[in-house]
Amino acid sequence: MSVVEAATRPLSPAVGLFARRHAWTGAVVAFFAVLLAWNASQTRNFGAFEIQTMLASTLALAYLAMAQSVVVIGGGIDLSVGALLVLANCLTARFMEGTGFGGSVLVAAGCLAVTALLGALTGLVISVSRIPDIIVTLATSFVWGGAALFVLRTPGGGTSPTFQTLVLGSGNAWWPALLCLLGPLLLVWAPLRRSRRGIAIYALGSSSDAAFLSGVDPLRTKVVAYAFSGLLCGLAGTATTAFTGGGSPQSTIAMTATLNSVAAIVLGGVALSGGIGGLVGPVFAVWCLYLIPNIMLGLGVDPSYGEVVKGVVVVLVVLVGGLLRARRSRTG
Amino acid sequence: MTAAEPILRVRGVAKRYGPVEALRSVDLAVARGEIHALVGANGAGKSTLVRILAGVVRPDAGEVEVAGRPVRFRSPAHARASGLAPVFQDPAFAPDLTVADNLRLTATDPGAFRRRLSGLGLDGIELREPAGSLPLPLLRMLDLARVLAHDPALLLLDEITAALPADYAERVFEAIRDARGEGRSVLFISHRLLEVQEVCDRVTVLRDGRNVDTLTIADGAEGSAGTLAERSERRIVAAMLGERAALAVSEPRRVAPPPRAEPGEPALELRGVSDGGRVRDVSLTLAKGEVLGITGLEGQGQDELFAILAGDRRASGGEIVVDGGRLVARHPYEAIRNGLVLVPSDRWQALLPQRSVRENLAVAQYNAPGRWGWINAERERRQVAGAIARLSIDTRAQAQAKRLSGGNQQKVAIGRWLVGGFTTLLCFDPTRGIDVGTKHQIYDLFRELAAAGKSVLMFTSELREVPLACDRVLVLYDGRIVAGLQAAEADEATLLSAAHGLADTLTESR
Amino acid sequence: MREAVVRDDAATPEPGLLARIAAGDRSTLALIGVLAALVVADGLIDRSFLSLSQLRNTLLVTAPLALMAGGQTLCMLSGGIDLSVAMTATAAAYVTGVQSSEGAVTAILAGLLVGVAIGLVNGLAIGVFRVNPLIMTLGMSGILTGLLTVGSQTFLGGATRMSDLVLELGGGTIAGPIPWNLVVWLLLGGALVVGLRRTGLGRLIYAVGDNRVACRLAGVRVWQVETAVYTLCALLAAVAGILIGGRSGSVDLQLAGSYLLPSVAAAVIGGTSILGGIGGYTGTILGALILAVLDTMLNLLTVDEALKQVLYGCIILVLAWVYARGTASA
Repeated sequence: MSVVEAATRPLSPAVGLFARRHAWTGAVVAFFAVLLAWNASQTRNFGAFEIQTMLASTLALAYLAMAQSVVVIGGGIDLSVGALLVLANCLTARFMEGTGFGGSVLVAAGCLAVTALLGALTGLVISVSRIPDIIVTLATSFVWGGAALFVLRTPGGGTSPTFQTLVLGSGNAWWPALLCLLGPLLLVWAPLRRSRRGIAIYALGSSSDAAFLSGVDPLRTKVVAYAFSGLLCGLAGTATTAFTGGGSPQSTIAMTATLNSVAAIVLGGVALSGGIGGLVGPVFAVWCLYLIPNIMLGLGVDPSYGEVVKGVVVVLVVLVGGLLRARRSRTG
Repeated sequence: MTAAEPILRVRGVAKRYGPVEALRSVDLAVARGEIHALVGANGAGKSTLVRILAGVVRPDAGEVEVAGRPVRFRSPAHARASGLAPVFQDPAFAPDLTVADNLRLTATDPGAFRRRLSGLGLDGIELREPAGSLPLPLLRMLDLARVLAHDPALLLLDEITAALPADYAERVFEAIRDARGEGRSVLFISHRLLEVQEVCDRVTVLRDGRNVDTLTIADGAEGSAGTLAERSERRIVAAMLGERAALAVSEPRRVAPPPRAEPGEPALELRGVSDGGRVRDVSLTLAKGEVLGITGLEGQGQDELFAILAGDRRASGGEIVVDGGRLVARHPYEAIRNGLVLVPSDRWQALLPQRSVRENLAVAQYNAPGRWGWINAERERRQVAGAIARLSIDTRAQAQAKRLSGGNQQKVAIGRWLVGGFTTLLCFDPTRGIDVGTKHQIYDLFRELAAAGKSVLMFTSELREVPLACDRVLVLYDGRIVAGLQAAEADEATLLSAAHGLADTLTESR
Repeated sequence: MREAVVRDDAATPEPGLLARIAAGDRSTLALIGVLAALVVADGLIDRSFLSLSQLRNTLLVTAPLALMAGGQTLCMLSGGIDLSVAMTATAAAYVTGVQSSEGAVTAILAGLLVGVAIGLVNGLAIGVFRVNPLIMTLGMSGILTGLLTVGSQTFLGGATRMSDLVLELGGGTIAGPIPWNLVVWLLLGGALVVGLRRTGLGRLIYAVGDNRVACRLAGVRVWQVETAVYTLCALLAAVAGILIGGRSGSVDLQLAGSYLLPSVAAAVIGGTSILGGIGGYTGTILGALILAVLDTMLNLLTVDEALKQVLYGCIILVLAWVYARGTASA
């Protein structure tokens, strides 16, 4: 069989192609469904309240996972997402204190502008300096952490309760949190993904050489990716303020959040090498990671073992996923 | 704008990297509707010039004029917009993106793309497949089609036929001629002088960063023997190397077969080796002190065969016998321990780019945990110096192997095994993309090794070098050895037809 | 790793001054210069800095950091990273604490064994199963956190008192400004520096980080090298953890958390590339010293914690930029 014949085999039906490209996301969604069902079976009267709790408490990490996804898809990695979250948290907590809903929204908008700008700056520095992303973001994580301490010396601050309710919902109203999550997905990511700039992000992550030769402007593309990521980190920080009702500049929060974001994206089908994955998978992965300790609690196991299980799950998923990807590319 | 005005004019272009001048001063003019070849030894500056024209790097001095207007390219996109379209050896397709998405990056019209594909004889390619799942030669053709779909004024083709099967190469030549018919121009960079004469109108020769000669293919040197083709080739090679080397180099060597070990003393024997894929049933015998060549079209199983012999891949059937014992290698280490060592085709698979020449040459010495201990510095120095001397490795830039020229890098890749020791040297396309001078040094090395009792098994896609390098040659087709000849009798026509599977031509001499 | 966009077959020339500073032993001189300048500055700010007791304090803090950074250097040279060093150090400290009733030597050995075990698991997962080092060590960090959290309430509970030998090694002084842990550091550090340069394994660590594929074709079983690297790294982290535990006298979960990012920073400042194949421990030592002296200086100047963090980040960025410019001009 000649080379050409091999490449022009009876074309896979469009469904087949779609299935193959979104296989991982589908698997994560299925995994989530299983976990949800399991947790539901453990809890009496499982209903809207539990859903609201899940959505509200995972909103920040979900935003963070999306932020990390964009950067990693573009071929980088961002060790400073957690620090940026903390900075945004402190900014919003400090300035939202004592304001009403309108004021809080304004502060949030301002904060988003700041974090998006900081993100863009990070992307700029990475492009111009040729320093690997991991090192630049390691450095900026210190800078943003320090900045957070400037803003809030000690945990404190506050926010408008109306703001909290409208962002996260309360009681049985789970749809506000979901809307907030869908907002950036539908309004920003969906159009970006289809646009040339979005394809350029994927190209840059897939092969920076090929991207450059194809006319992709690496600087502009990186800046856009990191700016969007910064925006999402700002949203994560705002969500944290809404959830906790205050701000805390502790660096350990930043570190843990960053590590969790990496775990989530890997579970969610984003390849650390770049060019592969999306934003939806990681969100479902965040929900899975949330459910695991809950389920263990329901089984009567110390939830700290949940950390252990999460770690093991992430490692196993990456292991198996890596093997599957390697096998698929070898037959190509 | 007159019709006589060249589409591209390069004047006094220079580029230096630190203290070294890659280009000193190059003048070049490509006319409209012309296929213009650019040839030169490694280090002559061809790649740098192409990168400047493609907008990948900026020149330090000089002017570039496209259609009479001076231009300064800021990026590949800018160069492309000015009508210059490069096709590099690595296709510019992001592997994880579909072909369709890749086309969107360059704003290529899918309809025009498909038309150009048809013109290249490739219909029915699924654009929604990830580019990385397509084989490299096909991707190269897609790259060419993409570039043509933008109706460029000037195509820059960098070694486009390297690693392309002969049938694809033919289609490329047709496409180039068609482009010329449409009034486009082509700057054709190649090491293969035969192609250059077949396809191109004019040739510019670069040496040491300058253009030293430009000739029209119809010319040749006056007053010398040989056909028109031979004369122009001699002139080109003379320009590339400087006068003296040319004559020595262009004559094919006729060497008497070296003394053989007694029959029954093969260094390597393959009996019915297969891998469940492209390698179907390969049997051959390599005697001690022999240089055996294998040739064939792309994708006949040669990559897999050499990977199996090197221990990088598992065979599913058949036997490999080394020195009388069966070899089943699950890792290159086991093959190496049995004396089978590989010099890969891709230098980036062989070299440690940021490490010194010394570390590169010595690395195989420490490949077993038993050798992880203290290094005997004096012994290492001796061994490394020996290899450097034997291969005439230019160690001026020795702090990091990535700084060496292509030819020197190849020598380091081979030199590693001179240090490490071996019985059979497996070489895959050892002289691909290497200048003529170094090529001959490598052929001489193989002769020396053979005379010393070692064996060499080399795959080559360049049929012309078979009589220069080998004692015998086998042809691989569809995963089987279909022909075997003494190298001295192997002319290109015979080899080519055997490579296409026309087996009526030859007897098997295993 | 692919270098140029189009492989240039011409020889590229010897790099310029900046590049040589970045690439080789010249960087050591530059770093020594920076360190000397910082020490002088510190002395000018507060004369007591140069006093024996202050010197001792600085060294006390640096030794464990330098050991962890040494492990990190090995991982980075081979093209990876180890984000579990902090938790490995904590785990080793915990075990040593728990076992202290069995005698000092047994306790220390137990702690080291824990380190080796963690390193083996990391190394095998990364080398044999090809899990990404970032992910594997991240996961391991989470696993250890969980185990230690639970453990501190159950099987590891209560026994946080270190034995006397450990206390001495971790916090004691041999003479003047020289703490015992410096001796430990010098011994291990010396072995690292020499080992990387003069042993086959050392060569392979660089080689594997530079081009994994080429190593395989040269007959190197890369997984063995990687397993060795992560095991050694975890062992060094374990030693560091025991020393830290010895100095503070007790163990808790936050023991070594603040050492993780600085361990990477020290290696980066010292010139080891995160991409592998370039760098060495000498630079890391200087990097660790620079970080420690800088920290002291900022404390002396009663600089705000916030400003300290910002400065920290900027310094890492600046130095990384210098190195990147150096390699980029190649």
